[in-house]
Amino acid sequence: MNTWEKLKPKGDQYMWAIIFALSIWGLLAIYSSTGALAYKKNGGNVEIYLFQQAGLLLMGFMIMLSVHTIHYKYFIGVSKILIWLTYPLLIYTLIWGIEINGAKRWVSLLGITFQASDVAKLAIIMFVTRELARKQDTIDDFKKTFLPILAHITAICVLIAPENLSTALVLFATCFLILFIGRVKIRHLAIITGSVVIVGVILFLFLFLVPEKAIRGMGRMETWKHRMESFGKHENNPDKSYQNDHAKIAIATGGVFGKFPGNSTERNFLPEAYSDFIYAIIAEEYGFTGALIMLMLYMFFLYRAIRIVLKSPKAFGALIAVGLSFSLTLQALINMAVAVNLFPVTGLTLPLVSKGGTSILLTSVAFGVIMSVSRYIEQDEPESETEKLDENSVNEKEIVAT
Amino acid sequence: MDSSVKRTILFLIFCVIGAVFIVRLVFLQLLDDSYLRSAQNNVLQEQTIYPARGLIYDRKGELLVYNDAIYDLTVIPEQVKNLDTTVFCKVLGITKNDFIAKFEKLKRGKGYAPYRPSLFEKQLTIPMYAAFQEKLFDFPGFFVEVRTDRKYKHSNAAHIMGYIGEVTDRDIEQSDGYYRMGDYMGISGIEKTYEKDLRGVNGVRYILVDSKNRTQGRYKEGTFDTAAIAGKNIALSIDQVLQDLGEQLMRNKTGSIVAIEPSTGELLALVSSPTYDPNLFIGRDRGNHYMELLRDPTKPLFNRPLAAPYPPGSIFKVLESLVGQQEKVLTPATSYACHHGYLFVGCHAHSSPNQLRGAIAISCNGYFCQVYRSIVNNPRYHRVEEAYNSFHDHVASFGLGKRLGVDLFGEGAGFLPPATYYDKVYGRYRWQALTTLSLGIGQGELGITPLQMANATSSVANRGYYITPHIVKAIAGKPNPNPEYNVKHWCTVDTSYFPIVIEGMQDVVERGTAYIARIPGIEICGKTGTAQNPHGKDHSVFFAFAPKDHPKIAIAVVVENAGFGATWAAPIASILLEQYLTGKHDTRPALVERMLNGNLTHRDDSIPATKSETF
Repeated sequence: MNTWEKLKPKGDQYMWAIIFALSIWGLLAIYSSTGALAYKKNGGNVEIYLFQQAGLLLMGFMIMLSVHTIHYKYFIGVSKILIWLTYPLLIYTLIWGIEINGAKRWVSLLGITFQASDVAKLAIIMFVTRELARKQDTIDDFKKTFLPILAHITAICVLIAPENLSTALVLFATCFLILFIGRVKIRHLAIITGSVVIVGVILFLFLFLVPEKAIRGMGRMETWKHRMESFGKHENNPDKSYQNDHAKIAIATGGVFGKFPGNSTERNFLPEAYSDFIYAIIAEEYGFTGALIMLMLYMFFLYRAIRIVLKSPKAFGALIAVGLSFSLTLQALINMAVAVNLFPVTGLTLPLVSKGGTSILLTSVAFGVIMSVSRYIEQDEPESETEKLDENSVNEKEIVAT
Repeated sequence: MDSSVKRTILFLIFCVIGAVFIVRLVFLQLLDDSYLRSAQNNVLQEQTIYPARGLIYDRKGELLVYNDAIYDLTVIPEQVKNLDTTVFCKVLGITKNDFIAKFEKLKRGKGYAPYRPSLFEKQLTIPMYAAFQEKLFDFPGFFVEVRTDRKYKHSNAAHIMGYIGEVTDRDIEQSDGYYRMGDYMGISGIEKTYEKDLRGVNGVRYILVDSKNRTQGRYKEGTFDTAAIAGKNIALSIDQVLQDLGEQLMRNKTGSIVAIEPSTGELLALVSSPTYDPNLFIGRDRGNHYMELLRDPTKPLFNRPLAAPYPPGSIFKVLESLVGQQEKVLTPATSYACHHGYLFVGCHAHSSPNQLRGAIAISCNGYFCQVYRSIVNNPRYHRVEEAYNSFHDHVASFGLGKRLGVDLFGEGAGFLPPATYYDKVYGRYRWQALTTLSLGIGQGELGITPLQMANATSSVANRGYYITPHIVKAIAGKPNPNPEYNVKHWCTVDTSYFPIVIEGMQDVVERGTAYIARIPGIEICGKTGTAQNPHGKDHSVFFAFAPKDHPKIAIAVVVENAGFGATWAAPIASILLEQYLTGKHDTRPALVERMLNGNLTHRDDSIPATKSETF
């Protein structure tokens, strides 16, 4: 089998189709919505963002195809190394991170600038699935199995939260779902739920009972409070609800079939129309029909991923595929929820669709892993039902994978 | 938990999420059209149509204030091409550097865009405008826009008219969205009090504009447009001729004139001197003129007739005569001897003793000190303060010591000391008539505004009541717009006590201290006052009404630091009475000449007010 033959997209063809459709769709939406940005920053060179995004997507595809050729069992080893690399990376970001729009989320390493949380996301999901798969036999043991996993999840999320609360929350929810699918005892999950509710209530009370002055200067707490406030009440000050208002105007003017591609008017008024609020532009240009189709694409992708886990419920591969899919879909759903004002404003992008930089490449890695699972589970189907992980056999291959 | 239950749970989660999104999208996109309408702001522009401001007339229908066109030079920078800057600057009377600076300033301004018109030069002069009209085709991109501003036909009555100016942020906030940045509103005077009547109602025109703000036409053929409603015209109660004569007579003097029609409370003249030309407050130099006037040491912006409190001096004796009778301590036959004064209050040489009428005519200080003493030490009351309070309330019923409620801004309350005031100064129960004796001759702590003086005269002329003085006679042809100004405010002194006092006041003019004010054929009743004050020479005060029966005019004149009431205030009042009642003032040319030319601005403050008598 030569290299090119191997690179042919294999696995669930529906999922490949969805990935492809979303990328192309995103490309069109970005070309339409970056006009104002192009004039502001690049003297009217409108194509620059189109080519930039196309290039990134192309690189992403190459990554996806390459990653999906690697058998997913190698990721088991990678995940253990990755998790221990993630901690210093997150701490480094918190201290020496680059601040963009008031949040310190970015790091620059070896000339590449990226969000540490994107790496952490991959790492913790892979790690949790690995642990779950490895300890299926002792899954009910609170001390040996459950507590160490929870400790890692909490530690990662706590490190991300100060600068990027929404990502931390999405990540926590994803891990929770993986635990649920991974047969963790409902009683243990209830403990998590309980603690989260308590912590949440305390944090909420802290934000709203402590006087404004005290909160000021405590990182991004003020931003969180204002976002929740402006979401909660109907804002009469058009300056404060500007983004939401214009997102709604965009969606409302779309109608059933939209204004057709390239005809958005709100792209000139809506800040971040090409990333955080791209769903509003899609709803404007492609209408109710388009918005619904995009929603369905993500949901269908997740459905296909869940099908894998239903086929081979105990496999590490199935868990990691559904975990990553869930993480991506949840991010997409929240982005869309923000655009239609079902959720307070967060900084989450729409995977594959939003204009992005290195995050596209890391998203591609995630898709690659998912597709690898899809590909090899179909190939190995007969054995995969009974697949068990033997730690020793994995450790041998760790070196190869890294 | 087995996998089929899990499958159901997952399936349900999906269904719920999907349903929530679909419901939300249906609502936003298909059902709710509020955001659809706000989206139209992108293309619909609301233009305000400003109505003409109401005109202002005097009581005889003479036009006082009208609207004048002013010309603003605007520029659409994008369209400026091949401009001959030299010619342009010459027409505008600026240098090339000014031109460059102006353009730089324009570009830094808020909301600047090369395709949008910006104000280049405010309020061109007429010659500039004419020159521009001629050469406009040479200056592509420049346009002259016409606005209206106020114009004052007679250049007088500045304090009554007030002025209009640009609204402040606070005005905009308080107007419930009526005013916008750059709008004009009344800032003082009649323009402020009757702003809502004068301004009319703004109209709205909806225009469709493209993304570059270029007009594309009317929105739905103007179905939603509303027409502007012009402001209402206002007729003032002022007599322009009387007002103008009053201002001329007060030229080079500091003081006030207030003339009222007693039967209606209408203000016939309201002079504050020094004054200024209201036309200074329009046009491009408005701000500079305002600052100049503000810095002027003679305080021309101060509205003296409404706000300046003066000790009334001897004119207060008229009120004392009335209160004394009401309190039953004085009758027309009461007689007191005067030996050049009473205790420490001096008096001039005159025949003695006198009865009430004679005492008023010669303004006997000794007599009225006795009257004041009998009122305040009245044995009918247990305590001095009770008697004093009764005196205070009677005097207050003539409108003293409180704001009357005139329809102009800046009215002062004056000061009529209550008993508690003396309690504070001297201690409770530690004062009596002699302690406050200077009140008996209208001195002491008393502060009365010229408006209150005229109103008190009006009350005497009406034999016991006044109608709140006001300046608006009709709005949009409807007379007496405010029912408040139809109410008779009755004084607490019985009508029957007035005739003897009025006789005395007539004697003042016929054969008393104000003989100079006599006009053959007109029965004038008046009283002079010479008010001591800490600012220098005595104030010359006079109030009067005429004719004696069915009075048509009540007048109060105060000339600051001018000496005896009879020297300046009485003749000025007399000339004005003659003018108002006969329509001319030519019977005493020498007197008119002397009053018009009298210049009291170089007042000699080195003469201290040592005299203790008042007339």
